[in-house]
Amino acid sequence: MRGARLRAALGHPALGACCRILIGGIFIYTAWPKLLRPDEFARLVYGYRILHPDLVNLAGITLPWIELVAGIFLIIGIIPRSSALVLAGLLGLFIVAGFLALVRGLDISCGCFFPFMRDHKLDWSLLVRDAILILFALQVVVRPSGFVPNRSRSERKGVSCG
Amino acid sequence: MPIRIPHSSSAGRSEVAAAIVGALALVIGSAVLGLVVNEFSPRGIPLFSTTAGADGAPTPALPKGMRGVDLPEARSAFDEHAALFLDARSTEDYAEGHVPGALSFPAYEFDGRFAEIADRVEGAESIIVYCDGGECSDSSQVAERRVEYGFSHVSAFESGWRAWTESGAPVSEGTEP
Repeated sequence: MRGARLRAALGHPALGACCRILIGGIFIYTAWPKLLRPDEFARLVYGYRILHPDLVNLAGITLPWIELVAGIFLIIGIIPRSSALVLAGLLGLFIVAGFLALVRGLDISCGCFFPFMRDHKLDWSLLVRDAILILFALQVVVRPSGFVPNRSRSERKGVSCG
Repeated sequence: MPIRIPHSSSAGRSEVAAAIVGALALVIGSAVLGLVVNEFSPRGIPLFSTTAGADGAPTPALPKGMRGVDLPEARSAFDEHAALFLDARSTEDYAEGHVPGALSFPAYEFDGRFAEIADRVEGAESIIVYCDGGECSDSSQVAERRVEYGFSHVSAFESGWRAWTESGAPVSEGTEP
């Protein structure tokens, strides 16, 4: 009984809508300044010492666009499952990159909300935050019923975030 | 509100496959869009790094049209007194150690500090800006605003303070150049 209620709650369209807006909004918000300053963002990527330096600029150019497009698609409901999958993958990538940087003792800026948190150092709490955000993204991947754009108007009634 | 659940495992597999294909298409399409925009953007950067850092490996490139200098070039300019060095790090970092003769010019105090050093900057044949090196971008920020302030002979020493100290080059301490 309790399991059925939990499944129903997790599959509720309102939860799906909230997750989409939260994850999509965060990625749009953080992608924009990176788009304006690809050179600065490339330096932040370089600081993680994971990518070969030759590839750092490519990452600085393309990553913010992937974040922005996936974030917009997720919110407006274009291939939302795929968009959520991409953003979950990016969060996973950030966790791995952050983990490797921390275990190697690198004292670097996380670049998470660059440039608004320019001096915010990478630490373990940021990895936990990313892990929580992955759960939100996966909720959308696993429960696509919450945002099917072609549903009838009557079906959409009552679906809101908050 | 009904929850859509795949009717069979093959339907479920096809949904997963469609989601993965969509994700790949989204990544590739967005990356291509980014490359195209970068090509035409005034803030675009080269696709591959070209400036050698302290360890000989390339560092992230400066914005197009901005010149970078490597360690040997910076050291040569220092030895021959051919350039004025600007330290774009914080005043605290400057006090702990800086290139001898370099002026403190933190990137985020650009406007306030410029009046103090305007005479020196305008009289210099060549200016080299540096910060910590590697991922820091303060030097390129200062160098980028050079045109706004009417001087164009500025280069960014990208591998910066880290490379300078690691090479055993001379260092001064304190708040004076």
